[in-house]
Amino acid sequence: MEISKPAHIWQLSFDGDWPTSVAFLGSSRKLAAGSRDGRIFVWDLPESPPESQEKDTPPDAAPVRQLVGHENGVTHLIATDDGKTLISSSLDRTIRIWDVNAEATGKGDVILDKPARERLSNRKSAAEKAAILEAPGATVETIGSQHTLEGHKDWIKALGISADGRRLISGDDTCLTIVWNLQTKKQIASWHGYQRVWVTSAALSPDGKTAFVGEFAGRRSSFDVPAAQARLWDAQKGQMTLDLLKVWTPTVKDEDRVDSYGYGQAWGKLLSRGLVCARFSPDGTLLAVGQGGETDKGQIHLVNVESGKIERTVSGHQSGACDVRFSADGRLVLSSGRDTVIRVCQVADGKEIATLGKARGGQFKDWFYGIAISPDEQFVAAADIAGLVHVWQLNS
Amino acid sequence: MNSNCPINEHLNRRSLLKSSLVTASGASLMNWGGLFSSDAHAAEAGKKNKHCILIWLNGGCSQFETFDMKIGRPTGGLFRDISTNTGESRVCELMPNIAQRMDKLAVIRSMKTSQIDHPGGIYLMHTGYQETAAVRFPEIGAIVAKYCGEKKSDLPNFVKISSNGNAGAGIIGPQYSPFSLDKDGRLPTFSESYLATPIETRRHGLRDFMEERYAKAHKAEPARMHRESYDRARRLQNVRQAFDVDSEWEKYRDRYGNSKLGRRLMTARCLVEAGVSFVEVGQSGYDTHADNFEGHKSLVPTMDIGWAALLDDLSERGLLQDTLVVWMGEIGRTPRINNRSGRDHYVRSWSTALAGAGVKGGIVYGESDKDGIDVKDKPVTEGDFFGTVYTALGINPLEENYAGVRPIPLAPFGHTVVKEILA
Amino acid sequence: MKSFHFVAGFVCVAAVAASTVVADADELRASIDQRIEAAWQVNKVKQAEPATDAEFLRRVFLDLHGVIPSREEAAAFLDDASPDKRSKLIDTLLEHPRFAIHQSDVWDLIYFTRNPPGYDTDKRQGFQNWLREQFENDVPYNEWVKSILRAEGDTVKNGSPMFYVMYKSQPEDATEAITQKFLGIQLQCARCHDHPFEEWKQTDFYGFAGFLSRLQVVDVGTVDKQKAYAIGEMNTGDVLFTGPVTEQKRGQKGEPVKPKFLGGDPLVEPELPEDVKDPRNFPNGKQPPAPHFSRKNALADWITSPDNPYFARAAANRIWAQFMGKGIVHPVDNLSPANPPCHPELLDELSKELVAHKFDLKWLIREIVNSRAYQLSASGDNTEAMPLWFERARYRPLSAEELFESWLLASGYQDAHKASGKEPEDRFNVRGFTWDYMRRFFGRPNDGMGNFQGGMQEHLYLNNGQIHQLISKDKGSLYDYLATSESPMEERVERLFLQVLSRKPDAEETAQFVTHLSAEDDQRNRIHEAIWTLMSCSEFRFNH
Repeated sequence: MEISKPAHIWQLSFDGDWPTSVAFLGSSRKLAAGSRDGRIFVWDLPESPPESQEKDTPPDAAPVRQLVGHENGVTHLIATDDGKTLISSSLDRTIRIWDVNAEATGKGDVILDKPARERLSNRKSAAEKAAILEAPGATVETIGSQHTLEGHKDWIKALGISADGRRLISGDDTCLTIVWNLQTKKQIASWHGYQRVWVTSAALSPDGKTAFVGEFAGRRSSFDVPAAQARLWDAQKGQMTLDLLKVWTPTVKDEDRVDSYGYGQAWGKLLSRGLVCARFSPDGTLLAVGQGGETDKGQIHLVNVESGKIERTVSGHQSGACDVRFSADGRLVLSSGRDTVIRVCQVADGKEIATLGKARGGQFKDWFYGIAISPDEQFVAAADIAGLVHVWQLNS
Repeated sequence: MNSNCPINEHLNRRSLLKSSLVTASGASLMNWGGLFSSDAHAAEAGKKNKHCILIWLNGGCSQFETFDMKIGRPTGGLFRDISTNTGESRVCELMPNIAQRMDKLAVIRSMKTSQIDHPGGIYLMHTGYQETAAVRFPEIGAIVAKYCGEKKSDLPNFVKISSNGNAGAGIIGPQYSPFSLDKDGRLPTFSESYLATPIETRRHGLRDFMEERYAKAHKAEPARMHRESYDRARRLQNVRQAFDVDSEWEKYRDRYGNSKLGRRLMTARCLVEAGVSFVEVGQSGYDTHADNFEGHKSLVPTMDIGWAALLDDLSERGLLQDTLVVWMGEIGRTPRINNRSGRDHYVRSWSTALAGAGVKGGIVYGESDKDGIDVKDKPVTEGDFFGTVYTALGINPLEENYAGVRPIPLAPFGHTVVKEILA
Repeated sequence: MKSFHFVAGFVCVAAVAASTVVADADELRASIDQRIEAAWQVNKVKQAEPATDAEFLRRVFLDLHGVIPSREEAAAFLDDASPDKRSKLIDTLLEHPRFAIHQSDVWDLIYFTRNPPGYDTDKRQGFQNWLREQFENDVPYNEWVKSILRAEGDTVKNGSPMFYVMYKSQPEDATEAITQKFLGIQLQCARCHDHPFEEWKQTDFYGFAGFLSRLQVVDVGTVDKQKAYAIGEMNTGDVLFTGPVTEQKRGQKGEPVKPKFLGGDPLVEPELPEDVKDPRNFPNGKQPPAPHFSRKNALADWITSPDNPYFARAAANRIWAQFMGKGIVHPVDNLSPANPPCHPELLDELSKELVAHKFDLKWLIREIVNSRAYQLSASGDNTEAMPLWFERARYRPLSAEELFESWLLASGYQDAHKASGKEPEDRFNVRGFTWDYMRRFFGRPNDGMGNFQGGMQEHLYLNNGQIHQLISKDKGSLYDYLATSESPMEERVERLFLQVLSRKPDAEETAQFVTHLSAEDDQRNRIHEAIWTLMSCSEFRFNH
């Protein structure tokens, strides 16, 4: 991945209970985004962006398709390399698999740019105002999902895929983790963590053999249960292979690894309020995990998968990290967070070489909830809870 | 559920208390008194005494994530509702246990109060009054202790377990001050003598010598009060077992949910059973300005299990009809979901709930508008709320105490008792 | 009894050249007794015996100094055979630095209570130091009250502005507090409606608030490492009055009310120069400018004027209550026609004399504590804490401050600390001791009407709390003396009583304690128990 003079080229409106996730569908001009109200849209963007209607703001475009099925917030979107299949996880306790190019089953009219319309109509005459506000929205084709993976009994907040696209991993708030065979849509392995602890992040190694699962208990009110975990598992057998937190806190005795203040202080520094995002590097030697929740630092740990040791802690999103990706060459790590910024850091030395977006608002910024990198690595997209999907061209 | 609580459980506890009474009379040469005075026993036998357990949701629990859901509205949030055992009302999916006990609850969905911040709200929802420089308003716990408490009981009448509020007994006086247990429900510092019993007895003997001589020559009331409260403090040593709930917890751990809150709630039941008139149990962490949904998901289920278990446990022991269980925090939370996925403070429309003594079950009182922005019907102010709670406990809310020359009614002037929810 | 007259007369002769006040003084204390005794006769009340020397000694030390006498002071007084030793002791105590310390403690709590509202009012050393200086320098009461109400300077260097900080942006609350605390008037009912049975109307309340509505609390930055505030006053702005609360409409704006002296005339204000414009808020970080005309100062002058019909009376009544248990009008902050005084002529005389003596509180205190009425015994069958006709000495619990400092003396902690050569400690910051617990468990032992209750918590503290830390075993402590002295046990017990209870034990007490302490077993605990018993018993807990 190369970055020089990145340019913000699209700002797609996605008004509603905010976008959480974004994925490129095999091309840098086709992308999908999901939101916390359960909707997923697909955009086909033109080769060259049109003139923007608003000053200092990149152009907007309307979606062409809506993927209909989820009944509660979409948490992650993952597209296969060919861009034909999209996988989504949701708070409605299902994982859905979509044939993005399937024949449409219906049509709908959606208005996703209400805030932009309000801005544009501001200080206009009543007639002009009405014309802007009441203009028809975008017409979208609708399709339903191809498959539904069922097995989770609570919110699914963690989703990951192996590099070969054969295996999927998902985790829910009952602390159940499931590894799926994507060809057969069957479960390969599943395991439970502690009661009242949630799976907050999950990832599969490129070969799909090793799984990382991050866990966190929102409130430490149960006895004797460690409130956060970071563990590596054999994804085939569902057996733990390495307890990373033990590696990271070598001085703590095993019997002290309970819900105690002292231990809470120790892991709190490392895990903050749970590791909320995780990705293996393309060669499978490193694992990147990000600190979530309302934390000052919101950093990314780069973990040696072999030893479990933290090799480097990079980046830093004020108020917490949200999502993380490696570049295809494994040289760079990209992360987004609760500071409306995507930070690009060098794996080798942790140096931040670029940022996309800038902190906005007051004390509390909006979040860049999810990020995506286009297959040609020329574009990066972010799902912004302000009701927007941003696209940057990395080399303008 | 019943298998967890054999019917003789209740009897066992009674006999435990009885046997300790014998032990205590055995020790009566030290003039420590009995576990209960005889009239306390009489009052208890007649079940005239009312009790109150306050479940305090510190920080302000969200009405949208409990009793006043707005499914499909922009303010609705991420949870879904479930049906309840009354057939009519629906509650948040985080409360499956309470959903099956809605027939016991009077839920008020139209709270409209005056203090939007924590300190002000905590004061307000403990006293019914806004804090002022001029008057030390007493907390509900002190009021229940004064008007429902057994004066001669060896147990304190106002117990707080890991909760908030520092108004204390205010103008009704330190006799009714809260007795605060630590966060695990154990006895606080200073409450236990560090001396071996013979030494304790000897030093008490010497002190008693001085006190008796002094009492003979000095008849003034303050000195008598001082002697009486000294005796109460010593008699507390007799009833320490009431606070030792370790073995009880082993039996009830699963039922109340294996949590600290569950243990506190079970302790509250034990104390009420032992005769304490007011117990306040706190659960902290509801101030979810960020990550409101994760916050409530982590707190409400624990509370749901414990609260439901408390209602069942009290009911099976025949105590619920005399025990009012109050469920509230200091504030509600905003309809708008902010850009930290949080909800902020809100008092224009929020929810509280009552169950047990003096109130009807299966009632949902008042209503908010479609987005939960304002009360649509039957607003209940803090004054109305406290007036109703005191009435349910058989206490006249217009009863007055004095701040100097100023009469202070228990619930503020001009309140209206919500008669519709009273039994 | 006659000896008092004789003694007073003697002093008069000796001091006549220095001061002409003494003759009046003699008159007032005599007049007090005359009027009190007359009331006993009319009401057929039997008074208690005169206080013993020991009773008087402990009472007057606690009342004037807020602490029990030291062992040496107690012994010296009890062994003194001179007939005028009581009035001599009073004179000595009044001139001792502890007098200013204790009196400023008392008044500081009257103004601020245990939990004052407002920011940083719990850290008010500036105010406390300033108030202590007023007593040290015998500043007349009306003058220091005027300083409080004029609130010039800042809260750290000058101190006095802290009073208004409690009522930041709350002129109504300030109105309630000022009328109660300085004038003995309960105006708060009139905040919402005309007073039901008194002359006060809502317009009186808002007329008073009008003097205060222009005040702003200004953060003037850090002075001597403490946060400092000043009181700024705008040139414009009036209280808006909307009528009775029950008749108020939503959004009703209200009519401006001009300041009016309570029960008197409206304030006459000079014309404001044209083009005067107030800032919206006074900027932080610097002393706000004085207004062209200060309503606040006009109010301060009116309140503290000798001609004010309420001020001197409220003060005289408060001082009386401080030493006699309750006011001639009780409670002291309700000098209402509906709440008449029990001794009207006496109150009239005290007020008049206080004005005549230029608000000299020390003079008034001297007269009161020299009276026979003050010097009655606390024993007897009357069960009241504060007997109606002052026929027996009153009971009051020691304040947290009095209790703590008295414990330090009683246990010999102070002596031991001195003997160790360590740096002296702050008043309430003693090693291994948590002052906050004292405030919590002993800070408010009364109900809303001032009746002592003393909850169970204070006993749990007395039985098991940090009081035991204060029973020092170090060299120089009482414990050390009892443990190491070669003197006969009787002598040791006498010293124990003298040091803790400021009196000698009687025969029974001596016998009991000698037996207790002479037993062979468990010596260490027994000594500790004996000291603890006297430090925690009722006799110690109260000033009686």
